Amino acid sequence: MTSDETRHDELPAVGTPPSPCFETLAVGDELPPLTKGPLERVQLVKYAGASGDFNPIHVDEPFAKSAGYPSVFAHGMLSMAFLGELLTSWVDPRQLRELGVRFVAITWPGDTVRARATVARKFEAEGERRVELAVWTENQDGKHTLDGTAVVGFP
Amino acid sequence: MTSPRATREELERRLATYVGAAAGPPEVGRDPVDGALVRQWCDALDDRNPAYLDEDAARASTHGGLVAPPAMLQAWVLPGISMSRAAADPENRQRELHALFDAQGYTGVVATNCEQAYDRYLRPGDRVTGHTVIESISGEKATGLGSGYFIDTRTTFRDQHGGQVGWMTFRVLKFKPAAPPAAARERAAPPKPRRLRPALGHDNAWWWDGLRCGELLIQRCKSCGQLRHPPRPMCGACQSTQWDTLASGGRGSVYSFVVMHHPQVPGYEYPLVVVLVDLDEGTRLISNLVGVAPGDVHIGMRVEARIEDVDPELALPLFRRETSAGG
Repeated sequence: MTSDETRHDELPAVGTPPSPCFETLAVGDELPPLTKGPLERVQLVKYAGASGDFNPIHVDEPFAKSAGYPSVFAHGMLSMAFLGELLTSWVDPRQLRELGVRFVAITWPGDTVRARATVARKFEAEGERRVELAVWTENQDGKHTLDGTAVVGFP
Repeated sequence: MTSPRATREELERRLATYVGAAAGPPEVGRDPVDGALVRQWCDALDDRNPAYLDEDAARASTHGGLVAPPAMLQAWVLPGISMSRAAADPENRQRELHALFDAQGYTGVVATNCEQAYDRYLRPGDRVTGHTVIESISGEKATGLGSGYFIDTRTTFRDQHGGQVGWMTFRVLKFKPAAPPAAARERAAPPKPRRLRPALGHDNAWWWDGLRCGELLIQRCKSCGQLRHPPRPMCGACQSTQWDTLASGGRGSVYSFVVMHHPQVPGYEYPLVVVLVDLDEGTRLISNLVGVAPGDVHIGMRVEARIEDVDPELALPLFRRETSAGG
């Protein structure tokens, strides 16, 4: 075996993050958090285009003000997408089973979004081992903006 | 005149006709799942997962090719820019329902919950269609935003073969705004802009600390006695690095001045009189002159400093016209 081959064997397959091991996960374990931002209005425009969600409240400042808000604000689904990114950076995208959130506070331009998750429960369902995670996003003041649950399956 | 109670009964009777109804025609993705839109999405999030972005790496991985982020589920069927147009689509019962609420004064709308489940991840070439059903409408609830109704919808996403790829529930609150949103009130009075902060370091922090303790300090060379300002580590006259301080009485005369009108930096009041003052002890100091009309400032004018907290974290020696003979 050449040294090149050895190195290849040791590298995880690209696109497949070194997967956490179901056996060693413990309730309370926290995933490496993901920090985004400060969010810019341009990013909201970009997200509107990428997601197809052109609700004007997120991109049209006069419209947002006429609706009683001080400015445009981030799509709740953008913060949810950050949670999606957090989870699919942690496990292979095909292991994500469910992601559900409550939108509990608004994220404003200039805010930082920190996506976090902790292991809440280990169980079996539909013939596979699963981990339920408490997931949330918080802003720069530690205030929760999304609160929810995710389920990840392990082969 | 109809009593509010009757109005609510009438409203709720009409609401009931929407429960279980399709929100509109099937939402057919305008384009198949493709790498370009995935890249746009990842760009918006700054997600760099190679399984979504790097064709070669993805092909070499266990995926065998690019895949789409699970959270993009709904993105494949949203209609895009037409969402921002008010024109009513006669077939869209969800919009009709919202319009019914609007007409009853429930003009506010806020998303409160979203849940997604993924049966399989999507790959370039998949064609996604969403079927959305208005699943339930709550009774009237009192909420922090105002009283209103929760509307639950459920969207089932299918691929080109009719196989389910995932589902999503979405809950919105349609409410009568009780008051400006709490967040708007919080933001209505933005914090007052503050003056620029000094750049603090080992060689000058002591001078600013002195101000916070109510003392205008002057640095003095311990070797030759030369006074100096602004603070610096070495005497310009004898190159000694040994120094101490003396407290200034804060009195002096205007050596020079400018009146700033433009540009206006937030945190300052304009016109802003900037003075260079010869302190009686023998050094010069730049600060602001307050309580004197710009036209009345003149070179040689006697002034005295008063140390004032311009904000909770910053004290400055602001000069005023001298009020009594110095001592």
